[in-house]
Amino acid sequence: MTNTTHAEPRRTPTNWNDQAMQERIRGRYASERRFRLLGLFAVLLSAGFLAFLLVTMAANGARGFTQTEVRVEVDFAKSALFIDPAALEGFGADAALAGADIDGAVQTAVRAQYGESADGLLSDAAWLRVRDAILEDPALLNRSETFWLPARSGLDQAAKSDGSAADEQIYRQLDDQDSVRTGFNLGFLTGADATDPTVVGIWGAFKGSLFTMLVTLALAFPIGVLSAIYLEEYAPRNRWTDLIEVSINNLAAVPSIIFGLLGLAVFLNFMHLPRSAPLVGGITLALMTMPVIVIAGRNAIKSVPPSIRDAALGVGASRVQVVFHHVLPLALPGILTGTIIGMARALGETAPLLMIGMRAFIASPPGGFTEPATVLPVQIFLWSDEVSRGFVEKTSAAIIVLLAFLLAMNGLAIYLRNKFERRW
Amino acid sequence: MSLAALALLILGLGLIAWVAARAKAMSFGSTGQARQHSLPNYHGWYVALWAVLPALFFLTIWSSVSGGLVTQTVLESPAAASLPAMEMQRDAILDEARRLAEGRIDAAFNPEAEALAPIYAEATSFYSLIGSSIALLLAFAAGAFAFTRLSPTFRARTRVERLVMASLLIASLIAILTTLGIVLSLLFESLRFFSMVSPVEFLFGLNWSPQMAIRADQAGSSGAFGAIPLFWGTIFIGAIIAMIVAIPLGLMSAIYLTQYASGRVRAWMKPALEMLAGVPTVVYGYFAALTVAPAIRDFAVTIGIPGASSESALAAGLVMGIMIIPFVSSMADDSIAAVPQAMRDGSLAMGATTSETIRRVLVPAALPGVVGGVLLAVSRAIGETMIVVMAAGLAANLTANPFQSVTTVTTQIVQLLTGDQEFDSAKTLAAFALGLVLFIITLLLNIVALRVVKKYREAYD
Repeated sequence: MTNTTHAEPRRTPTNWNDQAMQERIRGRYASERRFRLLGLFAVLLSAGFLAFLLVTMAANGARGFTQTEVRVEVDFAKSALFIDPAALEGFGADAALAGADIDGAVQTAVRAQYGESADGLLSDAAWLRVRDAILEDPALLNRSETFWLPARSGLDQAAKSDGSAADEQIYRQLDDQDSVRTGFNLGFLTGADATDPTVVGIWGAFKGSLFTMLVTLALAFPIGVLSAIYLEEYAPRNRWTDLIEVSINNLAAVPSIIFGLLGLAVFLNFMHLPRSAPLVGGITLALMTMPVIVIAGRNAIKSVPPSIRDAALGVGASRVQVVFHHVLPLALPGILTGTIIGMARALGETAPLLMIGMRAFIASPPGGFTEPATVLPVQIFLWSDEVSRGFVEKTSAAIIVLLAFLLAMNGLAIYLRNKFERRW
Repeated sequence: MSLAALALLILGLGLIAWVAARAKAMSFGSTGQARQHSLPNYHGWYVALWAVLPALFFLTIWSSVSGGLVTQTVLESPAAASLPAMEMQRDAILDEARRLAEGRIDAAFNPEAEALAPIYAEATSFYSLIGSSIALLLAFAAGAFAFTRLSPTFRARTRVERLVMASLLIASLIAILTTLGIVLSLLFESLRFFSMVSPVEFLFGLNWSPQMAIRADQAGSSGAFGAIPLFWGTIFIGAIIAMIVAIPLGLMSAIYLTQYASGRVRAWMKPALEMLAGVPTVVYGYFAALTVAPAIRDFAVTIGIPGASSESALAAGLVMGIMIIPFVSSMADDSIAAVPQAMRDGSLAMGATTSETIRRVLVPAALPGVVGGVLLAVSRAIGETMIVVMAAGLAANLTANPFQSVTTVTTQIVQLLTGDQEFDSAKTLAAFALGLVLFIITLLLNIVALRVVKKYREAYD
């Protein structure tokens, strides 16, 4: 050995202080720094996109929660409005009010107060608030009353210093007279869809989402948990089980719009279930959410150590008792975490619901599972199509509400995972 | 009696059956007979299930049949003889009569409906009476039958558990049924589409304008179904532009977070990146349409690119790429973490810097996993709907200019199926053919991706 090494010419030892070597090392360290900065840049850019998105939505949306109101004094006694107070008792009230020209009375009052040019001061739906007030207290009809009514969309924008010059001027005039105010828009949280951006609300869509999610949860959770138990604990290794596993894994990766096509072809055209109903939307989303729950459930059940099962079997439990008395309770936190994440995804889903007709204009909140409804994400989509400037802030405000719910659900899932997760 | 009340009543009967059977089983122990086979609870469940399940099963069937029976009775009544023979008018009147009978409307538009309403109400109450009495009788009879079978040696637990196992099996079969439902419904409607439009024209045609002529002499609406522009648009946005954004950002983020970042940075940035995946796609779509698209159009106009559209492929692709970042990054994260520590240590011991180790050792070793992740991300991107519906256009252009408008498969599906639908027109059925293509392609991508990932995992385990 030694002879052979000595026979070859001896390598000169690396001279680390050599100029060329120093430069090469510097170069390598510089490239190391560049690479590291590149990584940091990528992370910051990705996070920056998220921050930019959230800030854009928050900046646009915060204004959606406020609205501008104009003070209008309506003297019902002097107005041309004629409504028989007796008609306002009981069932005929709606018909009686629909027949009366409340809108005209309000317009007259506005003109009397702000001059002839003030026709376009109020939102088209402002008189509805007066109508509701009369309905609540028919005695109003005999006196004069001061109302704060929603301003026209353009004026509302002007109040938020984003309107046209003409609107800004009107707003300043009104502001000097102290007859305009901007406050929290309660109607946005309690109302339903409308054609006028100043009076739209998300309660209708929210209720639709709630009904849809209830159906989804009621179907996807039991089915998902039961299949997870079967596949993980009982299924024999054969072709059928493989088929079930393959279809569950594939279903988890199928684009959501395909589920919409399925819902349209099977539930609407074949089974003739009602269109636009939370029932159909819920079933469709349940088919989509189920694989997520199955996969999460299987992982949770798999992580329960076999010793638990052996011990239960050892003291004489049957195989069903082993699973339902011992394994399932221990796996439940993991299953719940997966379920909440799956439900959060279903809550934000839009495309399949468009397919089954949940994009209709629904002006009143749904009363049941089979009534036409829309859901929050679809409502956002519908509003985003509107050309009116006032809808931009409403869309962003609805997005803020949706994101808040998703954040809360994901936060709950993380909390559950941290609190109940067990390392065996 | 309403259906819900009846179901509640049956469930109540089940509860009574459970309590009674359990009490009976408890009494077995006190009589000093032979040791029981099952615990009292199982006897309770056995009887309760017998009392509830057959009755509920009957109710489900009855509720779907009884509507037809009621209509039949009403049609046979003498008052119905004067109804118009046209089915649509007749149905409208019947529907009105039904709503009148249920008290949902106060007055009918058709005088015939007014006359039919009492008959309707009568028939409804008659059939609901029959249905409820049969259901209740069934609940009683089945419960009593099960109750008489109870004895100390009766194997109640075995029977209850058999039912539990059956329900487990049925639940897991639903996944197969769903897959089957998707495949069959897509295939069935697509076959109807292909009987009108040749598959060759659909798959290789260059012209897409799905408006069918309403009148024969109408100009410019021959209805062309060449889907190549859609496929190109989908690939251009989902597989090219989005990936140019997502692959570098996702890969570098994963490398930085796993190799360089301190524990605290990772603990904050990793959930932040995952949040990108949790934002609903409709929010991304709105963001793309409201903020990104106008900015890109202005930019294109400033640098003088002709044909810049406010619904550019670039805007949709860019935002979709952002959405995809967490998918790429988490797959890359997993596969880099799966590279054995010995390989990294070996490289570092040879004097390589961290970045050299990553570039020369870790990434090549993790490459199959990364490729699998990218394929999954592509399949996700081409199936994505809302971003392209809101930010990409409807014009089926065959262009490589990212500032122009292109359209995608998913956009067209939404476009074709919203609005008025007639299920015998090629326009509506085309959506299902597009859906079938989308389904097959995403399925293939997923299978290939999983195979690549799996093969790679086996190499190191």
